[in-house]
Amino acid sequence: MSKITATRLPPPPVLDAQRTSKKPFARRIAKGGFIAALPFLAPALAAYVVFVIGPMVSAVRLSLYEWSGFNSDPQVFVGFDNYVRLFTQDPVFWTAMQNTIVWVLLSLVIPTTLGLVMALALNRPIFGRNLFRSVFYIPGVLAPIAIANMWRWMYNPNYGVFSEISEFLGIGDGSGATFLSDPKLAIYAIFAAFVWQIAGLNMVLFLAGLQSVSKELVESARLDGANNWNVFRHITLPALRPTIIVVLVLTIVHSIKVFDLVVGMTGGGPAQSSQVLALWSYSQSFLQHDFGMGNAIAAVLLGITLVLVIPYLIWSSKGNED
Amino acid sequence: MRLLKKSVVALVAMSMVAGCSGGSDVASSDKTELSWWVINPPSPTAAEAQEKMIADFEAENPDIKITKTNRAIDAHKDSLRTSIGTSAAPDIYDYWAGPGLGGELVERGASEDISSYYTEYKWPERFTEAAMGPVTQYGGHHGVPWKLNGEAMFYNKALFEKAGITELPTTLDELNDAAAKLKDAGITPIEFGGTVNWHVMRLLDTFLEGYCGSETFDKLVTNQANWGEEECVTESFVNLEKWASDYFNPGFIGINNDEASSLFFTGEAAMALEGDWFNAQLADNAEVDNFGVFALPTGTGRMYGFEQAMYITKDSDSKDAAAKFLDFMMSEPVQEETLGLFASQSVNKNVTPTADDELSASWNEIFENAEGLYMNNDQNLTQAQTTEYWRIQNLVVTGALDPEEAGSEFQKFLDSSN
Repeated sequence: MSKITATRLPPPPVLDAQRTSKKPFARRIAKGGFIAALPFLAPALAAYVVFVIGPMVSAVRLSLYEWSGFNSDPQVFVGFDNYVRLFTQDPVFWTAMQNTIVWVLLSLVIPTTLGLVMALALNRPIFGRNLFRSVFYIPGVLAPIAIANMWRWMYNPNYGVFSEISEFLGIGDGSGATFLSDPKLAIYAIFAAFVWQIAGLNMVLFLAGLQSVSKELVESARLDGANNWNVFRHITLPALRPTIIVVLVLTIVHSIKVFDLVVGMTGGGPAQSSQVLALWSYSQSFLQHDFGMGNAIAAVLLGITLVLVIPYLIWSSKGNED
Repeated sequence: MRLLKKSVVALVAMSMVAGCSGGSDVASSDKTELSWWVINPPSPTAAEAQEKMIADFEAENPDIKITKTNRAIDAHKDSLRTSIGTSAAPDIYDYWAGPGLGGELVERGASEDISSYYTEYKWPERFTEAAMGPVTQYGGHHGVPWKLNGEAMFYNKALFEKAGITELPTTLDELNDAAAKLKDAGITPIEFGGTVNWHVMRLLDTFLEGYCGSETFDKLVTNQANWGEEECVTESFVNLEKWASDYFNPGFIGINNDEASSLFFTGEAAMALEGDWFNAQLADNAEVDNFGVFALPTGTGRMYGFEQAMYITKDSDSKDAAAKFLDFMMSEPVQEETLGLFASQSVNKNVTPTADDELSASWNEIFENAEGLYMNNDQNLTQAQTTEYWRIQNLVVTGALDPEEAGSEFQKFLDSSN
């Protein structure tokens, strides 16, 4: 009886979420003309698969092998041994990981805030506005390795400008500033060059975003008695939200792949104290010829990047649909 | 029909052209072609000398044609790495002879054991003892000595005099005393650039050779002795820390070797641990007569330095021709002609080096008195070991690691990577 009853029971109600997640997806593909667009997308898609997805898959695959890079040497499958070595035996990996994390966190705060402040300042009709905009932006178009050389000279303990200033002010032991020589300070000394390079770029992005802030809204708010802070807090900042997200994501990407500045200023030293993941991956593969370890680090870096960037991609695709 | 005629004519023409080109191949195949991969020469004059060397050899041996490929250091390493074991590999390649570099390629079967050519051309009689060591260290004979660079201590005569140093140091203790005297006189005893790790490494290698002796040094770098158990290793690191904190130029770890060298040229530092190539740099930047050079006082009699050799690849189809070319390259006339362009001394012991100035004369003495060679440890160790060696060295010189623990820290890495 119960069996008959059971068979006669109506099917369980489908949750709204389930319904909306299945049907619209299929419908969206058909409705959106994805299939029709496929032939047009195919060349770009093929290039993307060959030049982006392919190397990524190859890097992850190679991270499971031991290989010296010699053609005559076979690639030996070692499973997750490279990852085990990386996490438990590599004396530099955790330093590089810590430096990369510190770099990303500082980047999210310092150059972004600085870029926003500069943009707000230069969005007003002040004398020499365009000149200042250009001056602040110029470091962003210089080659990072040139910036590294420049800053290395500025930090030079014998002839550098920081050394001269510190000697003039009587700071330290009179031998001048030794920022790049100090294992505890080196990474921050390089980061200062990064801020100098990237803040101007952020400023330009924020300036573009500020043009979308409604002047009518600002004027209305002022008529209602809002002060500068209130205008910034309740009108400018919400209007800048998409720009802020873009700036943050770009900053994260720039930070994670930082390489040239570190190579040019310290090479990861002293004693690997300023090592970062991207450089350590390169060093393992191309200097130490341990392609398995190098690609294992690259895979870790890829994982971190995806964790940080995928939420943005989801958010931006939702925005497009809205 | 007309189209058919045209096609037939075209086919015949193509066959004729193909036939001609085939004949040309046959003609050119009479010559043995040798491919020679060599690191970029240090100067345009040296590059010209290489071209002339090839032209002279080809004139003497019209049946052999040499194709030379010059590359920068890293590109050269990468090209060899990817071509060894394939048909793209050269017949002859230029490489450093140390186990960490040349030895790696020997281990992977890149190089042919050319002992038979050593007998045929009587090469053992031609090369100095120091030059022969690196090419015989892997058993048999791998490579032909091409360039031997020595490293020693350059010093500023006036600053030594000012510090009251009247005799050049002949032991490590005397070297330590000299550094102390210089410091007491308010002079920076020695300059180093720390961003290139191999610069400071030279002093650590020297301490290891001096405090451990040749036998233990060799055992250490070949993983036959324990770095954590040898007292001399600790002694070397302790002395290195002392030198770094008391005698190096301030901020050395943040500058490179070129920036550091300028301190020596301008008389701001009294000593520089450099190679025989430094003579030319001194001549360009300072008054050579103000400087001297003395052998590193390790007490073992061995000279500090490294060698580059020309290797014949195992897969070469023209080994006889390659050996003939190398015999020509290291012969007395060619070595005399190129002396000073690639190194201050020739690997050919019958070629007398010039002694135009005091520095050159001192170098001649250093080379003559050398009882073998101890090589730079970035050549002795594998790349991964070298990276860790430098990391530990830099931790010690920056005070971030107790020198007493440095040896065992390095041994820990060696054990984990074996």
